[in-house]
Amino acid sequence: MMIKKQPGVYIFTRVVVFVTLAVILIPVLWIVSVSFRTSETSLQSIFFLIPIKATVMNYVEAVKFSIEKMNISFLVMFRNSFIVTGISIVIALALASTAAFSFSNFKFPTKEVLFTMIIAAFIIPPQVLLIPMFILLKYFGVLNTYWAVIFPYAAFAVPIATLILRGFFEQIPIELKESARIDGASNFMIFLRIVLPLSKAAIATTIIFLFLEIWNEFMYALVFLVDDSILTIPVALAKLAFGRYWIPLTIYTASIMITIIPVVILYVIFQKWFIKGITMGAIKG
Amino acid sequence: MRKRISWIKNREPFYYIIPTLVYFAIFLFFPIVFSLALGFYEFHGYSQNIFTKFVGLENFKYVFTDTYFHIALRNTFYFVIGSIVIQLFAALFLAVVIFYGDFKYSTAIRTIIFFPAVLAPVTVSLVWRKLLQSEGLINQILRIDFAWLSNIKIAIFVLIFVSIWQWFGYNLVIFFAGLQSLDGEVIEAAEVDGASWAGKITRVVIPMLVPYIVISVILNLIGSFRIFDIVYVMTKGGPIHYTEVLTTLLFFYAFNPQGLSNMGYASVIAMVLMLVMVLFGVIRLRLITRK
Repeated sequence: MMIKKQPGVYIFTRVVVFVTLAVILIPVLWIVSVSFRTSETSLQSIFFLIPIKATVMNYVEAVKFSIEKMNISFLVMFRNSFIVTGISIVIALALASTAAFSFSNFKFPTKEVLFTMIIAAFIIPPQVLLIPMFILLKYFGVLNTYWAVIFPYAAFAVPIATLILRGFFEQIPIELKESARIDGASNFMIFLRIVLPLSKAAIATTIIFLFLEIWNEFMYALVFLVDDSILTIPVALAKLAFGRYWIPLTIYTASIMITIIPVVILYVIFQKWFIKGITMGAIKG
Repeated sequence: MRKRISWIKNREPFYYIIPTLVYFAIFLFFPIVFSLALGFYEFHGYSQNIFTKFVGLENFKYVFTDTYFHIALRNTFYFVIGSIVIQLFAALFLAVVIFYGDFKYSTAIRTIIFFPAVLAPVTVSLVWRKLLQSEGLINQILRIDFAWLSNIKIAIFVLIFVSIWQWFGYNLVIFFAGLQSLDGEVIEAAEVDGASWAGKITRVVIPMLVPYIVISVILNLIGSFRIFDIVYVMTKGGPIHYTEVLTTLLFFYAFNPQGLSNMGYASVIAMVLMLVMVLFGVIRLRLITRK
């Protein structure tokens, strides 16, 4: 690492980083701040960020607001997002890990062609498939159920999961697999007993990557989930904000905070995992 | 010859792949083909029988005269090019600054900058919507009263800024990982040769980062074509459709009661999106492999 010894450069680097941090942090801090302000003072503050009058009531109001005006509580929102994300990831992992195993374990004609086909699906913007998917799901009769979003989410998750997992699987020493084979293990058993347990890190990484993508997805959930009771968090939040009822800024920000706080907590604890997971996902691609 | 025989004998590898292929066939390949066919019809999303009204190439012809489509196309380009170029230069610049700047809290800094990428784009949009409103924080800080999201000319660039704001940390981390992976020896060799640090960086480090630059460009390329949440939540494509991108326009035509409710036409737009995306991708790849 080169150290910049000239004072001019030193100051320059500090300023650059400071400005960047400010631009990133100020919006976030503002939301936090407003969520604690009273409604009369919602737009007033000291140095833009410190409330003049603080209160915790906004959060209580936000919870009440969502139940009364929207027919959906935050708890239900979280439950919906959880179920949808969980099941999608399970399906995607099942498909991706088996496919990745095949690519990493065998040699066979059309191998790379098939792999490219699976990866190419990653490039397709989900919006392109919105309409045909809509008709397809309507035909299956699953619109307005969890499955309406689970099926597409899993489909879009498989390519990148396969890519990441194949990379990891290929690094498993052949000797391990060979000795198991000599002991009479079938390929499937090698898959279950050797490859998967050794890939816990890769699988965890993949799960984090997919989790973020699916948990935060908006468009498909907006179109395919109609009943208030099954909305996932992004859609529910958007509907709260733009619903039939006007929502005061303080409750607006408090609602946002409620959805963000679990993510923030997870992020602080698992920072390294998040960042590593997402970078690994990106780089393997 | 031998390969053929053993292929027929050993079908096991395919057993592991078939579930995925079948799943894809149903939920990806079929819809794509279906989408193409849909372009030839006019239909309302909630009608019982889709294929009642065959309109041939009318939808395709309409695309050429639709002003909203041209606006959306232009805006999509702004997004794609803006995202790729700005993220590349800004994030790379900052990564270099942080990496070589001897910062004590380098990890914490990166963690903070990365944070917005973890949030839902919807959340980010809801936050910035309020920041940019007339009485919002931005106007408070700048002491002016500007309608950021209502201005026909500026609004789209504001949206692009928000998108870059959210994903900046993501690109930063990628470049930082790239810098960390660099071989110190090569850089030291340059030092011995007496190169200045600016020269060193531009002529030695950055060329070595090309794989990471490619990654960043590709990710931004793919990601920026998918922009929907930010536009939809912040301006719904307004004012008067001046911030529409292809994805939101598609949505408007298909699902918005004020739109044409013509899913056939919306499918055409979807096809255009796909086409443009592929074209762009191919052009990019050619450029990169030439370098």
